[in-house]
Amino acid sequence: MLKNHLKLSLRNLWKNRLLSSLNLLGLSIGIGSVLTLLFSVYAYYVADANIPNQENIVYLKTHLTDGNSYNEVTYPLLDKILSTSPEIKAGTHMHGWGNIWLESDNKEFQKTTTYADPEFFEVFGLPLKYGNQSDALIEKYSIVLTDKVSKQLFGEENPVGKNLIAADTLNLNITGVLEPISPYSSFRLGVLLPNTILEDNPIFIRQTNWDNSFSPIFLKLDEKADVLQFQKKVNQLVVENYADPRTISRIELMPYEEMRMDTVPVAKIIINGNIAAAFFVLLIVLVNLLNLNTSTMFRRTKDIAVRKILGGTKKGVIVQFCLENGILVLLSILISGGLFLGVLLPKMNDVFGADFGEISFSFSNDYPVILGAIALGILVTLIVGVLPTLRFISLPISKGIKGKIDSAKSNFLLRNSFVILQFTIAILFICVAIILNSQIGFMKSADLGFDRENVIAANIDLDYKNIDAAKSSFNALLDELKANPYVENVSASQAVPSDYYFNYSTFYDPNTDVDVRIRRSYADDGYLKTLKIPMALGRDFDATLDNSESKSVIINRSAMKAFGWTSIEGKRLNYRNDDSDGFAIVGVMEDFNYQDLQNSVEPLVHYYNDEKDLAHHRYLSVRVMEGKEKEIQNIMNAAFSKVNSRKSFSQELLSQKVSGQYRLIEGMLKTVNVVAMMTIFISCLGMFGLISFMAKRRIKEIGIRKVLGAGVLKIVVLLSKDYILLVGIGALIAFPIAWYVMNAWLGSFAYSISIQWWMFVLAAVIAILITAFTLGIQAVKSAMVNPVKSLRTE
Amino acid sequence: MLLQLRNIFKWVQLGGQRIFLLKDINLEVQEGEFISIMGPSGSGKSTLLNVIGMLDTFDEGEYDFLNESVHSLKEKYRSNLYKEYIGFVFQSYHLLDDLTVEENLEMPLLYKKIKSSERKALVADMLDRFSIVGKKDLFPTQLSGGQQQLVGVARALIGKPKLILADEPTGNLNSQQSEEIMQLFKKLNKEEGVTIIQVTHSEKNAAYGSRIINLLDGRKI
Repeated sequence: MLKNHLKLSLRNLWKNRLLSSLNLLGLSIGIGSVLTLLFSVYAYYVADANIPNQENIVYLKTHLTDGNSYNEVTYPLLDKILSTSPEIKAGTHMHGWGNIWLESDNKEFQKTTTYADPEFFEVFGLPLKYGNQSDALIEKYSIVLTDKVSKQLFGEENPVGKNLIAADTLNLNITGVLEPISPYSSFRLGVLLPNTILEDNPIFIRQTNWDNSFSPIFLKLDEKADVLQFQKKVNQLVVENYADPRTISRIELMPYEEMRMDTVPVAKIIINGNIAAAFFVLLIVLVNLLNLNTSTMFRRTKDIAVRKILGGTKKGVIVQFCLENGILVLLSILISGGLFLGVLLPKMNDVFGADFGEISFSFSNDYPVILGAIALGILVTLIVGVLPTLRFISLPISKGIKGKIDSAKSNFLLRNSFVILQFTIAILFICVAIILNSQIGFMKSADLGFDRENVIAANIDLDYKNIDAAKSSFNALLDELKANPYVENVSASQAVPSDYYFNYSTFYDPNTDVDVRIRRSYADDGYLKTLKIPMALGRDFDATLDNSESKSVIINRSAMKAFGWTSIEGKRLNYRNDDSDGFAIVGVMEDFNYQDLQNSVEPLVHYYNDEKDLAHHRYLSVRVMEGKEKEIQNIMNAAFSKVNSRKSFSQELLSQKVSGQYRLIEGMLKTVNVVAMMTIFISCLGMFGLISFMAKRRIKEIGIRKVLGAGVLKIVVLLSKDYILLVGIGALIAFPIAWYVMNAWLGSFAYSISIQWWMFVLAAVIAILITAFTLGIQAVKSAMVNPVKSLRTE
Repeated sequence: MLLQLRNIFKWVQLGGQRIFLLKDINLEVQEGEFISIMGPSGSGKSTLLNVIGMLDTFDEGEYDFLNESVHSLKEKYRSNLYKEYIGFVFQSYHLLDDLTVEENLEMPLLYKKIKSSERKALVADMLDRFSIVGKKDLFPTQLSGGQQQLVGVARALIGKPKLILADEPTGNLNSQQSEEIMQLFKKLNKEEGVTIIQVTHSEKNAAYGSRIINLLDGRKI
């Protein structure tokens, strides 16, 4: 019997070749993208699986009284906690302090460098491929490599016991190699060094007081520890020990499991977005198959009736139908697997790899994904095999044998609710894509308060081997640039818009006792001129006042507002508890967007640094005449090629650098675009199948109408108008959902577009046009049939 | 006695009014009879046939088939009953288009869970008897109407039914093909004692039967 079913299934699939291939195409694309989306979610959730007992790991989050918060605390707090709290099993700092230059075989390289305490492994339990967890970070001059770095340097060899030269002077002994870490893990490690090395650094040691909250701390709690009680204790320690506990509202114990979402909020959006997109695509695929299968059922009612007369059972009919769909689904899983590995996964890595790392698929590790895909396939098969048969299977034989179904009885909308659902989802995605597009377009072209065009931004933080030699050639370049007629302005600065450090200081106004937390950076006297940022009050920096200027600052308008000042006459920036007389505010610049437009303009202060002081600058910005960018870039390339540095010189246009801030959102847009295209494509496949069956069912009606004088156009309209109506209904359902979701999303931007009615209209028009086109092909075909032929049946 | 209908009524409700499809039908059929049901269009011939074949239900009355009370049986038993004892022949053949002639003949045996070897033998026998061995691998659409109906009759017979119900079996055939099919029925009835009830419009075809039942507006006359 099974053989018979199988034979029949294959024959049926082959008989409806067009429909089968449409089904296969839709299924393959759909399942392929569901696989890709869910694989990224899967990779994300298993990425931290190698960290045991995560539920007992916490990190400390500082909440300030002004509502801001960050994941750092003061450095000595850890020791204090460890010495007073028996409920803590282990604790470690985890510092990034610039990436150290390492040397092996006379080749220099730089890897993400993290400094941690010996208890690091006790906290995180990250498994080592080579070496021992217990002593890997005990010795001061030891280094632990990640598997990736180890492979780059030593291949498959075990490097433990070998040496690496760090920063030209330190001889580091390799004590361990970590097992591979997923790129989606919360750990972004390259090499791991003991914190004790950092403590030799005088600049670092100067920060390790009870004043400066710059140290990320991770703790492993005893399972039985009372978390709330412990949190209270930590806050008590803060009050007792912090130099200025008044600005701290509280320290929060954050579960380690939430750190990835907490530090990269967009990851949450992307992961949730992926889950939602996968769900919707799956739904569309399902609905599509249901639609097509339901339409074939109309044709099969006679078949089913005959089978029942011959003694067939309902079960047999369902098995047959499931088998037919099962073959299709299985085949499409195979195709979609190829699609996933060959096209979609590399594409996804293209889009998100730069921000989240590239993930790869391996059969040995990721077999749950394969099992999941098969389980999904079975589920899909059961749903699309059983559901459509249910309506027809109980039809009385005497009716079924005539192939008649009382279609007039059932409600048109109810019957086509699947089609509506499909188009609701498709239009929803189109709306999202349009709004996303508009927002990105807006952010890229918005007035940022400075002129981003015709400015070259060169990175001059290159780890020079000989800083004095580099400085003299840099100064020669400055002179050359200033003499160049195509150069309008030149500036050296610590930051340019889109790349300001997260560096804050809290100042206060002794007259009003107001504390203001201000972001800080260094700039020269040419910065505002080069970027064309207008002054609101006072004056710009003046290089001729060199000595006194080091005690001058320029703040932005937001900072002035935050202090509640209307003028800067006689105002100074003072630290609380500081005896010096602070900094003289010589000017106020207008607000400009030095971050992306997700953030509003925060208070900002610029300290003065002379342009010639290469060591304190990271950027060289040059405003050039339009069209002369290439020439000036060549001059700069030539100048830096003569300088001996570890990093290579790079430069780009400021406009590109600013647009680059939206790379991730653009990646999301690309994904949404693809998903939107796909949903509408799959929906249209279903529609195509549906209308061809509709046309077949109504072939007599069409014939009669033509005999009575209806033209081709009339028939086309007759066949299509109902479906266009369905798309319209889908649009009406999709609009409020799209509005609600996107409005909430836009709310997370400090600067955003407002959603316009034309965006919805555009989405609907796109959907209707594509649908009309798909319908048109089939409808015209049916309308052209000679009525003599169609009326002759039986 | 093969079957007995007693006071069978069947109706549909149309706009608050009862339209009777069958009205007080009484019928006794003995084994070995060849009955023709006649009457104008809409007189209830096919409905009566469907009721006898248990493909359709009735609203009132009693129906005994081989001493089983059909009216009180559950659907499952009813279908077992007709599967076992009744073969159907239709005006438009109702062969399964996706199956070859051979597979069409095999289909009822599959549902009866007959062993493969036995199935093969029965099908070969039937093909032989109807002289359609050469056509066994063709699909129904590749055959003429007469040949299709031949396959239809063969399929109805293969399960060795006691009763064959034929709903205008020659309605789509030309006169020569009709003649052949009717001769076949006559032979089956005479030589093998198969009971046949046919619905027909044609006096000539009706004459093949041993008894004629006339219907008008759902009533026996």
